[in-house]
Amino acid sequence: MIFVVEDSDSDVEAIGRALGRSHPGLEVEFFRSGAEALPRLAHAHPRLMLLDLNMPGESGLDLIRQVRADPALAGLTLVVFTSSEEPAEADACYAAGADSYIYKPLNFALFQSVLSQTLDYWLSRPASGNVARTVVPPSGESSAQT
Amino acid sequence: MPLPWAAALHRLWRGVSALNDRDDLAEFVLPPLLELPGVRAVWGLRHTADNRMLAYRWAGPPVTEADRPAAAAAAFGPQSVVPAFGTLVAHGAARVVRARFDLPEDVSGSILVAVDDTADLSVISVCLGQVVEVTSEAVRRIALHRVEQRQQIQDALLAEASLQMDAVLDTAQTMQRVARMTVPAIAEGCLVYEYDAGKLILRSAVHVDMRRLNAALADPAEAARFVEFASGVVLGGGPSRQCDKADVQVMRARDRILGVLLFLFDRDADRVPPAEFLHDVASRAAIAVDNSTLYEQRRREVAAMQQHLLPSRLPEVDGLVVAASYTVGDQVLEVGGDFYDVVLREDGTMAALIGDVCGRGVDAAALTGMARHTLAALLQDGASPVRAMSRLNTRLRLNGSWRFVTAGVATVRPDGDGFVVGWTSAGHPAPVVLRRDGPAEPGQGGGSPLGILTEPRLGRSELRLAAGDTLVIFTDGLTESRKPGGRMFEERAFGETLARLRGSAADAVVKELSLAAASYGGVRADDIAVVAIQVRETAS
Repeated sequence: MIFVVEDSDSDVEAIGRALGRSHPGLEVEFFRSGAEALPRLAHAHPRLMLLDLNMPGESGLDLIRQVRADPALAGLTLVVFTSSEEPAEADACYAAGADSYIYKPLNFALFQSVLSQTLDYWLSRPASGNVARTVVPPSGESSAQT
Repeated sequence: MPLPWAAALHRLWRGVSALNDRDDLAEFVLPPLLELPGVRAVWGLRHTADNRMLAYRWAGPPVTEADRPAAAAAAFGPQSVVPAFGTLVAHGAARVVRARFDLPEDVSGSILVAVDDTADLSVISVCLGQVVEVTSEAVRRIALHRVEQRQQIQDALLAEASLQMDAVLDTAQTMQRVARMTVPAIAEGCLVYEYDAGKLILRSAVHVDMRRLNAALADPAEAARFVEFASGVVLGGGPSRQCDKADVQVMRARDRILGVLLFLFDRDADRVPPAEFLHDVASRAAIAVDNSTLYEQRRREVAAMQQHLLPSRLPEVDGLVVAASYTVGDQVLEVGGDFYDVVLREDGTMAALIGDVCGRGVDAAALTGMARHTLAALLQDGASPVRAMSRLNTRLRLNGSWRFVTAGVATVRPDGDGFVVGWTSAGHPAPVVLRRDGPAEPGQGGGSPLGILTEPRLGRSELRLAAGDTLVIFTDGLTESRKPGGRMFEERAFGETLARLRGSAADAVVKELSLAAASYGGVRADDIAVVAIQVRETAS
């Protein structure tokens, strides 16, 4: 199961449509604000939460901080999905405890692909671990050399 | 052939075009076979052309773990009909009819139909053959759809990445956007290295999991392996791809290597984009990086040149405070034509000059330098403003330039407890006096721009400054700053700003006026030069 915290109707529709196509079996719960999502987190135990930054009331950044302040939610992956291009915003999100800061494309096919790749990456990994696999390419040996 | 089969086959052919995913295929093609008389189970096996098993699907009794070796043997064996085996026997099957399909550049498949003794094998074989035809067509269409979808995503990515990269003219930001746009659309990570003086310098790094990438980059040995891999490609000879885990593409523009994009993959091999596409991404990125580098270089040159056209420092004059400001318009890639200077004359008086050469660019800059230096030198040597402007007029006409110059000279001399300003104008905007104790007062403009008439026509007027008063001279970029609707700064906002600035220090006056005019206009086409001359409160 994953949570999506998004206040924009059009983005909710696009995310729902994209996930319905790329991950038809995935259980998704939508929330309009962090205040709506927080009480459900303790009971539902989602694997990942996708969130927007600009929302009415508390911001996405506040939500990240609140989630990270709760040790019971340590295994929850937080993915910020935004069209913002402000580098400082990415830094702030990571500093607050976000796991991913993903660009939200305009084109729907690309939007769906980006969302799908993000979920595939995180859902294939253990909930609490970020250390299992190296990102470094193998040195010395490669198919291109052999 | 049973009649319901004809309808079922018709439904299968109609439904083929709606299938977009191979995972949905078994549920679509296997059940109709189960409905045929005497059929006890239908199994679908997905495998490679060289018989490596990939997946088992079924309609009716499932393929158990124990059944798998025998099912594979039936699929890969030479006989198209074999005796039933394993759990199929328990389900009443006597024989298994097999059909296999191999498709070029795609995975293969086999369908096993388990039948009892009542089944008509010839009918089953014909029906199975028809289902295999449907399945082959469905697989072909799904593959086509996948290719189209991938192409659509790649096209969209190139278009959106170009849009995002072209939106900034800053090299650092461009490199950040390259990495951000590609993750995770085409790779789980992207590192952007700049190639400078034979070295690769990391400028941007983005990963779906930044903590993981940061940990790798913080380890000197691992960071060195990234650089080693990328360097191998830049210097030639090294592989550009490593085991579908990483790929390096060189960013090259105008026969120069600007840097490299190092993509990191953490996905199935069939989802790693082809090198040709990554090369296209790197080419677009190179163009954007090259453009922003050129833009920055030109902007630095223009700023340096503009600085040379303005005085490096203003003189100090007893009883007066002088401040000046120059705000570059939005067309920052061309040198503007505004100029100002303040000089002390031999008789101890001060002369402040301001002007505007029409147009921008190198030609205008040359005239700007000449106009400023001519006026400043002559005024410093004691020439009257009229004589200095006449000489400049002659020089301009001798040059044969079509460009004209508006200019104003304020001579400021002590007079009793204040100062007297002599204002000489050659088509320049009138000055304004910001009174300490009253509303701002406009001076007089007049005259015609220099470089047009044989004998210049000049406007002359006199103003008096008391303690705390400020004379403000400026170019038309200040007053003619306009909103998108066309309304100009001078219509109302200029007066309001001046009223707000009454009593402010000279440097605050020039700074605030420039700022107010610049933020008033949506796009500032023109430069803004402002000089303020303020009488000290203690002036005697």
